[in-house]
Parts: sequence; structure tokens; C-alpha cells
Amino acid sequence: MTQRGTPRSGYQTNWSNTNNENIALPLKVGVGRAHAHHGEFLQGVFEGDDGRLYRGLVTLPLTSQESLATFWPDERDGIRTRPANRTKAARAAALTLEHIGIAGGGGELTIESPILIGHGYGSSTADVIASIRAVAAAAGVTLRQSTVARLAVTAEGASDAIAYSDQALLFAHREGRAIEHFGGEFPPLLVVGFRDGSGRPIDTLRMRRARYDSEEIGVFRVLRGLAYRSIKQQDPRLLGRVATMSALISQRHLPKASFSAVLDIARDHDACGVQVAHSGTLIGILLDAVAPGAAKRAAELAKKVGGVGFKGIHTFAVNAEARIIQ
Amino acid sequence: MTAGVDYLRAYETPRFAQLAPNLTAACFSLMKLMPARFMVDRAEASGRLEREGHIIETTSGTFGLAIALLAAVRGYGLTLVTASSLVDLKLKRRLEHLGAKVVAIDDPQGDGNQRGRLQYLQKTLQDNPDTYWPRQYDSPENRLAYARLADLVVRSLGRVDCLVGCVGTGGSLCGTGGFLREIFPDLRIIAVDTHRSMLFGQPVGRRMLRGLGNSVLPDNVRHEMIDDIHWVGALPAYAMAHGLFRDQGLFMGPTSGAAALVAAWFARKNPEASTLVIMPDEGHRHSDTAYNPEWLANLKDWPISIPGEPTSLERIRPAGETAWTRFPWNRQTLGSVLAEFDGSLREDR
Ligand SMILES: Cc1ncc(COP(=O)(O)O)c(C=O)c1O
Repeated sequence: MTQRGTPRSGYQTNWSNTNNENIALPLKVGVGRAHAHHGEFLQGVFEGDDGRLYRGLVTLPLTSQESLATFWPDERDGIRTRPANRTKAARAAALTLEHIGIAGGGGELTIESPILIGHGYGSSTADVIASIRAVAAAAGVTLRQSTVARLAVTAEGASDAIAYSDQALLFAHREGRAIEHFGGEFPPLLVVGFRDGSGRPIDTLRMRRARYDSEEIGVFRVLRGLAYRSIKQQDPRLLGRVATMSALISQRHLPKASFSAVLDIARDHDACGVQVAHSGTLIGILLDAVAPGAAKRAAELAKKVGGVGFKGIHTFAVNAEARIIQ
Repeated sequence: MTAGVDYLRAYETPRFAQLAPNLTAACFSLMKLMPARFMVDRAEASGRLEREGHIIETTSGTFGLAIALLAAVRGYGLTLVTASSLVDLKLKRRLEHLGAKVVAIDDPQGDGNQRGRLQYLQKTLQDNPDTYWPRQYDSPENRLAYARLADLVVRSLGRVDCLVGCVGTGGSLCGTGGFLREIFPDLRIIAVDTHRSMLFGQPVGRRMLRGLGNSVLPDNVRHEMIDDIHWVGALPAYAMAHGLFRDQGLFMGPTSGAAALVAAWFARKNPEASTLVIMPDEGHRHSDTAYNPEWLANLKDWPISIPGEPTSLERIRPAGETAWTRFPWNRQTLGSVLAEFDGSLREDR
């Protein structure tokens, strides 16, 4: 990270809690991080506790790529970003200041991120969440994950579950809250990820929302149950089945030209399943990370998908200790 | 959502009982609450059922009870159309306590007079077009409601290899089976019917075991999903229900006995297959009959011991109330199975 400008240490501002009592609070330089994801294990429509239907998803975390945000508080009004015009991140930072109770605070927000835009890696949400965390760190406040998620959705309209890091949950991405906490970690997986060759970058917020029929909504309910089971039993096969079914339904709404070819490859290599970015171009083949020879099999798979012309091939682990052969 | 609705949601939720290492039963107190609540929820959401509106259905059984509970809790009027031969006085009293109007249509033939009941229902709908008719026989919602059961099943069991259940409207077996098979394509589905029900190609006649089987064909029976069909007579169903109570403490109705008989046999023969059986109701409603020793003593051929295996049929034909028969259906349509027998079923009549 390059040091740009000296933050004023000891800079005083007002902290107001819910009772509007003003407490002096020093803002310092704050750093926040948030990782990328590789699309979803599951995305659809699900019943909430109130009996209503909500759009929701189970995010597949990709922890090796992070957005890094640094907040430099100053006495000028408003949030300025570097690179310029990161309006969602700026809005998220301003909302966070407001939430913490710092009226009229401002500062510079720098965002450094290697995450590719527009393929379903969640680059925009990662920037937004890193920014929220940076501002919270600047104020010395630790925010609840649910608060981070809610602020993120307010800032960008829809968000993924990255505020919850690698926790397994079903997340209402337009409301910014959990529909169901699965109460555990994902089963151990190796993911051979790549991009659908036909895919152009996609503007997720411009995308038409999928209209699911009653039958599909019923299937989503069962897939949610199966996701719960796979996490409880740490069973990668069941989660693979969830992902494949969700991807198959996604094919009816945002088809990926190469999907059936990928399914065949996955089957030939005895994979657990295939997942996709439901609003992106990513595809991932899921392998049981604790099966004998998993890393070797992942390497073979990566070679195979490279051989048939897929781009951006990248193998990563989810909740697994396996050494990855890239 | 009111507290009453929450309670009914809990009431519709089955308990799981492990009958053998590879055999689990989903035990319902009142299974029909699951489709009834789903249908009423959807009718409310879509505006087909307005506040303080009226519901009508032809039923003499547990679907009527389920709808009556919902109508009472949510403030709807309800008319249930049944036949004079089918009226169960105790159930009628319960329905009337819930505020339902029970109309019994004359039934000189004693076959349930489904045509007469539908005529009455159609006339009522014409005169009161705002009335909501759930249509449990033919509405796909009857099947869709069982996504909830499939969800509960995979949460408790994970993978399922075989599903066994009774068929009346077909909603529970074809609904649950359809959702489970989406996820586990190799799922085997075994249907349980009773002799002289027309659902799987038998000639209709007097049936002793009620709740499953039918003398008309509902759209919700999806024959092409069914791998095997079993017909269980009343006596083995009663004997098995008694066995479930004695050996497992499960006080279930006779149709649950029929389903458990078939499921236990399949699970014994296929120890590697994870098998699930659906049990639709409890024994209380049958305490004067199937659980009443005096009533049972008057039955021809009672007592019988629980049979160990079914008789395999080469041609579909009815049998006595002590019999248990089976036929490999192989996911065919009813038409193609009937064509295979080239009208020979008719000669059996
Ligand atoms: C009490 C009861 N209700 C309902 C049914 C039939 O269920 P469905 O109408 O879903 O086929 C049975 C089947 O045996 C039953 O015993």
C-alpha cells in the first residue's frame, strides 16, 4: 500500500449513540478488507419466516482475492474515492459514518482490488464491504455482520453474502439479511473455476430478474433443505447436487453456452457437481477435497477444461487443507 | 400471521420414526393440512379467496377436516359436499363444531355419488362465483404443497433411494416423489392402493379400506412416475397398523399400516436402499373400527397375521380383503398398461 498524505491523528469528531448523547471520538486511518466470491452454490426464491417469498442465495466464497479499502478521514465534506467515481463505495462509507453517528464526516477512500469486474466475482460488493469495514475501523468500531450486510444493500441495491465472510447461510440479497443460518461451515471442497467462453461481462444490476414458476420455487425449497443437510453432515456430494440443480434452473434464465459440456466433463471426473455465477460468466467444478487424490484430480480437470478452451482457470479450496496444484 | 396459523403449520409437520436401519416413516397427525394450508395461502395471495370469503370442496375425509380447521382459524365460511353413504357421524360433528356446513347428497347406489356431489358444487359455484374451490383432486397445488415434505425429508435423511406411499388423490406421493426425484434421479417410487380401486387399472367395486384408492381418476395421480404398484386389502393393513402400535408405539391409521407393510418388505429386500414411507394419519379416527376388538371380531377371516410378502400379479386383477398383491408398473401411463392387457380387465368384472 502506498502512503498518500498524512492522516491527522487525534482528529476529533462527535459520536452520537441512539440517545443522541455526544461522545468525543477520534477518527484515525482505517483499513478494511473483503474477499471475492465465485458465484453461488444456490440462487432462487425462498420462503422467509413471515411466509413471504424472498430472492436469496448461498454464496461460494473465494477468499484468496480481496478488495482493500483505506479510509483517510479529513475535515472536508463528503467522501472522495480513488480510483475516482466509486460511487457505491462512497455511498457505503457515508452510510457507515451516519450509522456510527458521525455527522458531516468526510474523507478519502482508496480502493485497491485485483478482483475482475463483471464476471460474477462480486467485485463491487467486495469494494463496498471493504469500505464499510475501513470506516468502522477508522472509528474503532466493530460492526455486526448483519449491520455490514444491511449497509451494503442500502448502498448498492443488492449485495451478496460476503459480509458474512465464509459462513454458510442463505442470504436475501435484496433485503440484506439472512433467511437461514445453516449453522456450520461449508463441507471441504476443491473448486476448479473458469469463465464461460461465450460470456461478456455482465452488469448485474441491469439484469432482468428471473421469473421462477411454482415448480421451481418448490425445487428451491428442497435444495435449501439439502444445503442444510450437506453442511450439517459435511457432505460435499450433497452440496454438489444442490449447486448442479441450481445451475440447471439458472440455465433456463441466463444460459451459459458451454454448460452441458461442462456437466459432461464433471461427470467423467466423478465430481460432486457444477456451480455457476447466476448473474455472471463463472463456472466451477466441485470436487470432494478429502477424497484420495483430490488435488491431483483437480489438476487433471484444470488441464482438461483448459484444453477445451476455457479461460481464467483457477483452482481454490473451500474449508479444506489440500495443497493446490495450479 | 396469527398464532393459530403458526400452530396449524406445526400440526401439519410430520415426526420421523425409524422403523428399521434403512427405513424411516414420516408420521403425520393430519397430512392433508399440508396441501390445504398451501392452497389456502396461495388463494389468499392471488386474490382467489377474499377476506371473509367462502370455500367449497367435495370431501368426506381428512382434507375436509384440514380445510375446516383453516377456515375456522382464518374466518372463512366453508361448505363440504359429501354423500349420505359416506357420512362419518363423529367427523361430521367435528366439522360442524368448526363452523362448516356439511351437505350430504343422496346416494342410492352407495358408491359415493361423486357425480351428484360435483353437480351440487357446480351449481353453488354458479350462484356464488366468489366461492373458492381448492380442487384437491386435480389442482397441481396439491402436489406442489409437498415440496415442504421433501424439504423436511432431505434435512433429516439426506439421500433417499425409495419412496413408498398411499395414493388417493395422488398429491402426497406424486408431489413428494416428484421433488425428491428432481434431486435424486434414481429414486424408486412405490404406490400403495387397495383392491377394487380404479387408480391403477382395477375394475371398481366395494372397498373396505378407505382414505386411499378412488373410484374416479384424479389428475394428481401421475402414473408415469410409479415404478411399482401394490394393492393391500383391509385386513393386512389393520394387522400391520396394530403391529406398528405394539412394536414401535406408533398409533397410525390403517392406510399407514398398508404403506408400512409394503415399505418394510421393500426395505428388508433392499438393505442398502434408504427408504422413506409416508403415513398420512393417526389411529384416533379409527378407534371404533380398526382398533376396536369387537368390531374386528365380526370381520370375516379376522384375525390374520402380518403377511411376509405380496403375491406378484402377471395380470392386474382384484383380490380379497386378506390379500396383498403387486405389479411392476415400470413408469407407464395407465393407457399403455391397460392396452397391454387388451381389454382383459373388463372380462374380469
Ligand atoms: C388418511 C389419508 N389421507 C389421504 C390419503 C391419500 O393421500 P393423497 O390424497 O395425497 O394421495 C391417504 C392415503 O392413504 C390417507 O390414508
